[in-house]
Amino acid sequence: MKTYVLRRALGLLPVLLAAVVLTFVANQFVPGDPITTLLSDRSGDAALEARLRAEYGLDRPLWRQFGTYVTGILRGDFGLSFRFASTPVIEVIAPGLLVSPLLAGGALLIAVPLGVALGTFVALRRNSLADTLVVLGLVAGTSVPNFALAAFLVYVLSIRLGWLPVAGWGTLSQAVLPVLLLAIPPIAYVARLSRTYMLEVLQQDYIRTARAKGLSRRLVVYRHALRNTLVPLLTTIGIILGGLLSGTFVIETLFNIPGLGRLAIQSIFARDYPVTMAIVLLFTFFYAGINLVVDLLYGVIDPRIRLGAGRAGGA
Amino acid sequence: MTEPGPAIPAIGTLEERAGTDIWRRFRRSRNARLGGGLVVLVTVAALAAPWLAPYGYEDTDLLAVWAEPSGAHLLGGDALGRDVLSRLITGARVSLLVAVSVLALTLPVGTLAGMAAGYFGGWVDSLLMRSADIVFAFPELILAIVVAAMLGPGTGTVIVALAIVWWPGIARLTRSLTLALRTELFVDAAIVSGTRPLTILVRHVLPNVVPPLLVRASIGVGFIVMAEATLSFLGIGVQEPLPTWGGMIRDGLVALRTDPHLALSASAALGVTIVGFNLLGDGLRDLLDPRVRDR
Repeated sequence: MKTYVLRRALGLLPVLLAAVVLTFVANQFVPGDPITTLLSDRSGDAALEARLRAEYGLDRPLWRQFGTYVTGILRGDFGLSFRFASTPVIEVIAPGLLVSPLLAGGALLIAVPLGVALGTFVALRRNSLADTLVVLGLVAGTSVPNFALAAFLVYVLSIRLGWLPVAGWGTLSQAVLPVLLLAIPPIAYVARLSRTYMLEVLQQDYIRTARAKGLSRRLVVYRHALRNTLVPLLTTIGIILGGLLSGTFVIETLFNIPGLGRLAIQSIFARDYPVTMAIVLLFTFFYAGINLVVDLLYGVIDPRIRLGAGRAGGA
Repeated sequence: MTEPGPAIPAIGTLEERAGTDIWRRFRRSRNARLGGGLVVLVTVAALAAPWLAPYGYEDTDLLAVWAEPSGAHLLGGDALGRDVLSRLITGARVSLLVAVSVLALTLPVGTLAGMAAGYFGGWVDSLLMRSADIVFAFPELILAIVVAAMLGPGTGTVIVALAIVWWPGIARLTRSLTLALRTELFVDAAIVSGTRPLTILVRHVLPNVVPPLLVRASIGVGFIVMAEATLSFLGIGVQEPLPTWGGMIRDGLVALRTDPHLALSASAALGVTIVGFNLLGDGLRDLLDPRVRDR
């Protein structure tokens, strides 16, 4: 088990390095010269320009800049912001640091139980009208982007009925719509999967045996079948969190929530690439970490995984 | 990517099965029929947009600024007095153009890479699959956002960004299908009779990976349309004056209280299109997957 953990953790290194390289390269793509932009009306001030260039490290060769970038990240230092002169990126990011995880975590907490319940419900009513309709709804839920769903929900719930605020952040009622909208794709995704798994499990011999020895249908479903659908669901937590992280970019922009997602998009338009790329790095590291934990948990639950020869590629 | 790929062992080519049989089965599936119908509808709108749209998508009319839906403007006007219906129809053209371009870039590359990796193994396999892993390391939309930020907004950027995000999925699927095919008797027979690897890949492997790739492509169009709309919604995708559903939803949300028609109609068009391609893909998968078919 120890070697398995070590191997999986080491397997992350090239991926993390790739993320660091990509964001460094992306930072070089800023249209125009960031120092010129910073100087704006004081563009004649050569002394100030030289000082800023030195402060931002832009007077050094590219490979030195990359070295500073990498060692900085290891210390939790993402460099300086281009929009707010001489301000460390980390200070720009700090106020929103907890908002996005709060949104994503809330959505995840709703999504998994609701999705499992919904999927189990329709699996037990296979090929009924309810099944067809719910499956149609689940296809829509997993694939239609949440800003399109948002238009309808905000219109009906906030504008027509006046139940919830249209946008903003700070009160519980302001969090309801964003969390709900973030949760819809994972609810639908989990429900689709648990429906499929449940249909598969219900065909297993041990289910027939349990029924044959006289256990009630309810007991068989909840005691025997449901448990076995939960294991494969665990692996999807990584995919779900990836979707939720991307989702925060859209939902925070849409509802004007001061989280990292909105800040990342705003910073693209403000040409403050260091901030955008720091957020991308944080999200990618977090995503990689979650996937590692999920893999390890899966190895704990199912010994076949950790004893097998690494990851069997593909579908 | 969002869906675990359809694992389809040992499949025959499309030609081997009676075409009429497939058609009959396709028509029996309610959801596949619905999906197919929606896809035809959107495709016709996209192809015939210049003739179908009652107005030009750039034509502004001061009297139609935020106009209510009426006889002259069936879905009303937007902030610049442009006809919403015309922009919706042209938006289908933009969305599908992006989708077709991404497919045209990724299908050949992904298929070739996947077949080479699966067939030859060794360093070819390692190289291709490690580069795919790097793409998979990022949440897909976040990677697209980074690429879009680097290249600057625009239609070309969206196509490149989504192609980068999407090709590894195709490569991985093709690879796993090729791995399964390698153990088939007919591939062994071809090797033994001295057929060159390239010929084996083209003549014996390719026809067998195409059907599942078709399924993936159909679901993929749904994903690409969604991702394009998201980038455009965030303002880093397709730019004005070209109409995109994502951009129209963003503009419409600002005026949702007073003029809901723009956001709601663009959201509906986007939703219907994406659901259509997904239903069609699911329907195709059920047709081609023997496990479902023979049940």
